[in-house]
Amino acid sequence: MRNPFYKIGSFLLLLSFFAVSCTSDDRETPKEETPLSGDYAQGIFILNEGGFGYSNASVSFLDAAGQIYNSIYSNVNSTNLGDTAQSMGFEGDNAYIVVNNSSTIEVVNRNSFQHIATVSNMIVNPRYIVFKGNKGYISNWGDPNNVNDDYLAVLNLETNLVEAKISVVEGPEKLLVYNGKIYVAHKGGYGYGNTISVIDMASQSLLASIPVADVPNGMVIKNGFLYVISSGKPSYTQDETLAKLFRINLENNNVENVLTFPQGKHPEHLELDNEALFYVMDNSVYTISLSDFQLSQNPFFEPTSDGVELLYGFKVNQGNIYIADAKDYVSNGEVFIYNLAGDLQEKHTVQIIPNSFYFNN
Amino acid sequence: MKEIFYILFLCMGFGQVIYSQTDNITTLENVYLKSVRIKDSAYTTNVTILSDSVLRQNQASLTNLLNYNSTVYFKENGLGMVSSPSFRGTTASQTAVLWNGININSQTTGQTDFNTINIRGYNKIEVKPGGSSVADGSGAIGGTINLVNQLEYDAGFNNELFFNYGEFNTHGLDYRTSYSSKKLSLMLGVARNGSDNNYPYPETERINSNGHYQNTNISFAASSKLDSKNTLKVFANVYKGRRNFSVPTPNALKTKYTDFNTRSLIEWERVLGKFVSNLKVATTTEEYRYFGNIASDFYTTATVNSLIAKYGLDYAFSNNMLFSLGANYTRNDGQGSDIQAETRNLAAAIVSFKHKISKSVLYEISLRQEANAAYGSPLLYSAGMSVQLTSFYQLKLNTSKNYRIPTYNDLYWQGLGNPNLKPEVSYQGEISNNFKIKNASLSVTAYYNSVKNLLHWIPGSDGIFRPENTNQVQIYGLESILNLERKIDSHLFSLSATYAYTISENSKTQKQLIYVPFHKLTASVGYGFKNFSAYYQYLNNGEVFTTTDNATEHILNSYMVANLGAEYALGKQKKYKLGVQVLNLWDEAYESVQNRPMPGRNFNFYINLIF
Repeated sequence: MRNPFYKIGSFLLLLSFFAVSCTSDDRETPKEETPLSGDYAQGIFILNEGGFGYSNASVSFLDAAGQIYNSIYSNVNSTNLGDTAQSMGFEGDNAYIVVNNSSTIEVVNRNSFQHIATVSNMIVNPRYIVFKGNKGYISNWGDPNNVNDDYLAVLNLETNLVEAKISVVEGPEKLLVYNGKIYVAHKGGYGYGNTISVIDMASQSLLASIPVADVPNGMVIKNGFLYVISSGKPSYTQDETLAKLFRINLENNNVENVLTFPQGKHPEHLELDNEALFYVMDNSVYTISLSDFQLSQNPFFEPTSDGVELLYGFKVNQGNIYIADAKDYVSNGEVFIYNLAGDLQEKHTVQIIPNSFYFNN
Repeated sequence: MKEIFYILFLCMGFGQVIYSQTDNITTLENVYLKSVRIKDSAYTTNVTILSDSVLRQNQASLTNLLNYNSTVYFKENGLGMVSSPSFRGTTASQTAVLWNGININSQTTGQTDFNTINIRGYNKIEVKPGGSSVADGSGAIGGTINLVNQLEYDAGFNNELFFNYGEFNTHGLDYRTSYSSKKLSLMLGVARNGSDNNYPYPETERINSNGHYQNTNISFAASSKLDSKNTLKVFANVYKGRRNFSVPTPNALKTKYTDFNTRSLIEWERVLGKFVSNLKVATTTEEYRYFGNIASDFYTTATVNSLIAKYGLDYAFSNNMLFSLGANYTRNDGQGSDIQAETRNLAAAIVSFKHKISKSVLYEISLRQEANAAYGSPLLYSAGMSVQLTSFYQLKLNTSKNYRIPTYNDLYWQGLGNPNLKPEVSYQGEISNNFKIKNASLSVTAYYNSVKNLLHWIPGSDGIFRPENTNQVQIYGLESILNLERKIDSHLFSLSATYAYTISENSKTQKQLIYVPFHKLTASVGYGFKNFSAYYQYLNNGEVFTTTDNATEHILNSYMVANLGAEYALGKQKKYKLGVQVLNLWDEAYESVQNRPMPGRNFNFYINLIF
């Protein structure tokens, strides 16, 4: 019996062979070349945290000539960085990448990006790292649902092993080292913190706890003063609280000045340049001078007009403002570089969820 | 009255039962196209039936079964972990999963995790592509999967034991006992599956750490012909599952997840002259517990209890015309650690008319009016036509409007849910071309689907995800199913294949949705000779985008996986079977979700005893 069936059948088979032959091996993937100099000594690292659970964190590098190189960690080391890169720190010749959901610290050479070691012992949900002497101090949430297991891990930089834990209250986040002490902002893990812990490095013990408003999100130190921006609890917690900016005298840990934001406003990302602080609110950049210390009603500039969709990372460094745009969290992000007048200078496409900038020079 | 069903059934006949059920050969000759019972659904779309013997030769998860035997695409977070479908390019919650006709998608997430369905609890699974909200309600947009306990009469007392064991301590035990007389039929099944699931990741030093799972399913079905006019059926199902979620990276915090679901259903069918009335009353409970740290007792949870009632009344004007009226009622009571306690009531009325104009032409029209002010009470419809143009060619046309209501999470997630969300709406049209000759059949379906008010959690200006109703998606594509069978002397050969080509674009960005492949191909070849049979299963999933900007560097590569199986039946009546399977025969290193490797080549054997 001859009939159209065979024609259609063979068409279908052809179609399926087409489907088979059209596999990913034929696809041209963009090549990620390494910088001509072969090293990363002069430029900016941009950390792309990647999607939570997807193990697609990566590092981009912007060289001095303004050329961007993506996925340098995996290009150099032929392995993935891990799951949700939270932050990075430099000490000596090394860079330490804190990979939150992997519960690891990846140690690389800061100039070649060659992998040196993976720190995984006594690391659970690490957030930030600071250094002093031959030690690194890493804030850890532990089990984020457990409010009693949070700590600073003390990393021996020679062995790359964690050698001690300093217990702290829930949700240790950003860290600052000043005058032999570590200042720990307790932003909160899955809960909401409202203190700054002061840790004595010599004795590895808690010296003081400075109460601030809910969710201390950013800290800077200038001229013996600690500035803390507390975002307040957002409305979706169904217990919304006010955001505040604190000026704390580090001589006596006294709050010398506190500015209160209007209800419903939740600023983030505190940065410093000379005599001015910068912060971010509703995707806009605000500034406040240290001398008169008054909140400004109007934004300094609005990066959304340049195409920023979700301002996720923010850094002020040597006369430039760096903004990381995470878009919808499931596409390649962008970085926008502004001068201190708020004029856009450059922008570059990076990888998934860029969150921070680190300057190698 | 009975004959109208019979006649409609026959007249629609194309692609009904393509092959008689030969039990000694492989899976897929038993995959045949079939029109569904008139009271449940349309005659103007195609349905694929996966029968008991197909179910036996596949692994126990619904993911695995449909992955190799249908056009449904799956993203699976590693073997046995969370698995979500994309049917005809739609999102995971746009596939309705039914249990004996009752929708069992989770009320909290709107979806079914296809690795929490143990197929050993059922003896028939129907795969129905395309929208069918008129018949199946909310969520039936991309397609519908119906898990069926089919009962037979007058078959006496039967017992069946199935046992399989494979690498990574993967094991399954399934016992089914049934008794039926001329008027009564009873079936009880207990199935247990588990695995250490600690497979090595191909081409790496790592193993799948913390991937252990186990689940138990108990199913019961009974049917009694009370008299010549009344039939009563009872169904019940209990599922309990526990999974550790395999860690994405070796040092990550280990987590686990448990499920406990129950379902029960009473169905009463009564024939009154030209009327047939059918009443179904069902209750379902669902509960999950997620332990964010396996070493801790702390968990988050949600439970939803539901009551579903469906009434249908069919009236036959003549042998060629059937008029039906229906009423549905659903009540959900939900609460959880993150969702506030809420009760919601949904009701709908259905009218449908089917008319067979001539021997070869039939049309049908159905309307469904939702009566729920909170969701705008949409009027849904389905209309279609079927024409047998020649002895070997049948054309079917269908268009429908379908919907999906927001889930408990979308509406009531504390602080983030939005009680003002609208339902998703989907307008569809499809053309099926069905060809059939003696030993072969082919169906080619082209479809178009426009989804409006897509429910989606997207980050706001504060970076926090909230549910929104803003996106629109345009989907179109081609679906094809091929079946061939040839017998030469006592050698039986069969081929079965499915192919799907799918474009599913966000209307605003014109980008393909993530985790929707352009191509998916499955094929199965079987050979049988006397007591021996063997089969080869093949799956090719095309590459998928994992980012909404469709960036090429984040594409997840296409992959091809094949399984090889052989079976030997002992005894004249072939009641004792021994089988071996090589899964991932070519040891392909592949992932169906980014950085979640699937197992390499592994071995499995089974015994099936009927007594």
